[in-house]
Amino acid sequence: MPGNGREEMSRATGIGSDRSAAVAVAVLAAAFAIFFILPFAGLVDRALDEGGTWDALRTSEARDALVLSLWTSSVTVVLAIAFGTPVAYLLARGHFPGRAFVDALIDLPIVLPPTVAGVALLTAFGRRGLIGEPLESLTGYSVSFSSVAVVMAQTLVAAPFYVRAARSGFAAADPQLERVAYTLGASRLRAFFRILVPQAGPALAAGIILCWARSIGELGATLIFAGNLQGKTQTMPLAIIQAFEGSSLGLAGAISLSLFLLVVALGVLVVFRLVAARGGEPR
Amino acid sequence: MSIEFAAELRVGTFSYSAEFAAKDEILVLFGHSGAGKSVTLQVIAGLLRPRGGRIVLDGDVAFDAKSGINLPPQARRTGYVVQDLALFPHLTVAQNVAFGIAARAGREERIAELLAKLRIAELADRRPRSLSGGQQQRVALARALARDARILLLDEPFSALDEALRSTLRQELLRLRSDLGLTILFVTHDLREAHLLADRIAVFDGGRILQITDRETVFRRPASRRVAELTGVANIFAGRIAESGGTDLVVAIEGRRFSCARPEGSAVAEGDDVDVAIRAERVNLRRLAAGATEMENTVEAVINEEFAYGATHTLRCEPTHGGPSIEAELASRPYEVLGVATQKRWLLEMPSADLHVMPKERAPGA
Repeated sequence: MPGNGREEMSRATGIGSDRSAAVAVAVLAAAFAIFFILPFAGLVDRALDEGGTWDALRTSEARDALVLSLWTSSVTVVLAIAFGTPVAYLLARGHFPGRAFVDALIDLPIVLPPTVAGVALLTAFGRRGLIGEPLESLTGYSVSFSSVAVVMAQTLVAAPFYVRAARSGFAAADPQLERVAYTLGASRLRAFFRILVPQAGPALAAGIILCWARSIGELGATLIFAGNLQGKTQTMPLAIIQAFEGSSLGLAGAISLSLFLLVVALGVLVVFRLVAARGGEPR
Repeated sequence: MSIEFAAELRVGTFSYSAEFAAKDEILVLFGHSGAGKSVTLQVIAGLLRPRGGRIVLDGDVAFDAKSGINLPPQARRTGYVVQDLALFPHLTVAQNVAFGIAARAGREERIAELLAKLRIAELADRRPRSLSGGQQQRVALARALARDARILLLDEPFSALDEALRSTLRQELLRLRSDLGLTILFVTHDLREAHLLADRIAVFDGGRILQITDRETVFRRPASRRVAELTGVANIFAGRIAESGGTDLVVAIEGRRFSCARPEGSAVAEGDDVDVAIRAERVNLRRLAAGATEMENTVEAVINEEFAYGATHTLRCEPTHGGPSIEAELASRPYEVLGVATQKRWLLEMPSADLHVMPKERAPGA
């Protein structure tokens, strides 16, 4: 805070008024903070008031949603790593025609509304989709309304977060290190795992966390492409939606699932910060 | 340990073509940045593929454009050390050195031996980022040697270090060379470094080797005006051969005649345009005795600019009776003894043995 003398002087000379600007900033910031904190406070307050939060989590509906969410999001992360890592490497280190195009394409699902992604998946892999229709007539198998569809929806929406993080991690690593590793006899694969991956480690971890958090929270694409079947495609966000539409879970169930997701999200943020702080350490 | 090298390549507008051989020596690749020195090392290491040529390391063909042989960098056994060292930050010193040692048997002993040789045994468990610049340098050298490298490729490895550290490491390198009998290719743009380390020097310019020979010859008998410029010859005069009959040549330079040693191996005839080079430190200052006239190869001149570098003084001199401007370099002791601080008028002597005649380069594009 400015001293009185300075305050008077600034008034006297009419040059700006530090104090009112500071007050305005403080008020705006406080209002913003309150707006962000209140809903979560409400959630916690309601969960405590209602009681039975823990019981609601133990209903079959909630448990199914929880289990499905956990395993599908884990599979999504594994798929993102398996298929996304080579893509990220090529985007960071490769020179091939259309690299800028692929780069932009990877970012598309990040900015695209997930519902659009769901519709798009449906038109490609759905019963009457581009691939889905011939596939079903040939093999009799359809992915729609199965857990496979859940994983597909989550992968489309969440994997780009991993690819993007991995790409910047690879790009930020010094290529000279790998070149020297080659002269020391390391194969490309050994140089990748022993030299590049450790350097990009924090970025990869951050990508994995983001990807997993995004798949846990995925709603729109899953709802449209995979449907909302308990135990098969009803992940936690979908179960919450269902609760408001009158499922046996009720509001209490919705609240307890929400609370669970909130705790997970907070945990993710903390881990993310820790990883980022480690990555930012001076070399 | 030996290398035979011939390669040509083109990267964008940069065209490169060079050929040389080296065996059990330190060959300094000298030149400005972009001259093709680093490219040479990358081609030898197998990191850059030339369009044509042939590279033989210790009798093994590493690259041959004609027969399509191109060993990958993993199979070439070169010790490549880059300017920023590229130490693996997540590995300890010992792990960095171990990275290139494939065999498990005897690995620990080998690491210990290398660390001892480079005098960094006590740093084995430290990570690179906790080491000083000189220590990191030694780790990089130890790592490069770990694979029984047949040739050491050093790309300006000392450029980031301070002067005191650089000279210790240079001594270290000379010691390593004689201990291990290594062939070392050392890239630098630093004249002093080139002079101190080199058995031979290859002068690079614009993707070509302009001259490759022993150190003294490069410095005293540059092959061309460009080499003379690159190696820091202060005095390069344009002249014309006036007489070529005697043991020495007589060259006319700006209306004055100078006798110059006949250059070995290059035929020059009367009337040829030539360049004449003499290093500033080869110019002698003589007192102007009363009534003395100019003798052979002397020019009466006045010092009109002086630069004191501590150990040496650089004097820019203008001739009194016509002739070329001459730069002389004097150590600080003779500078004081001669009293150059107060006396500015001197007779500059350029000994004929030090006046080096070079054939005129053709004008660019001609």
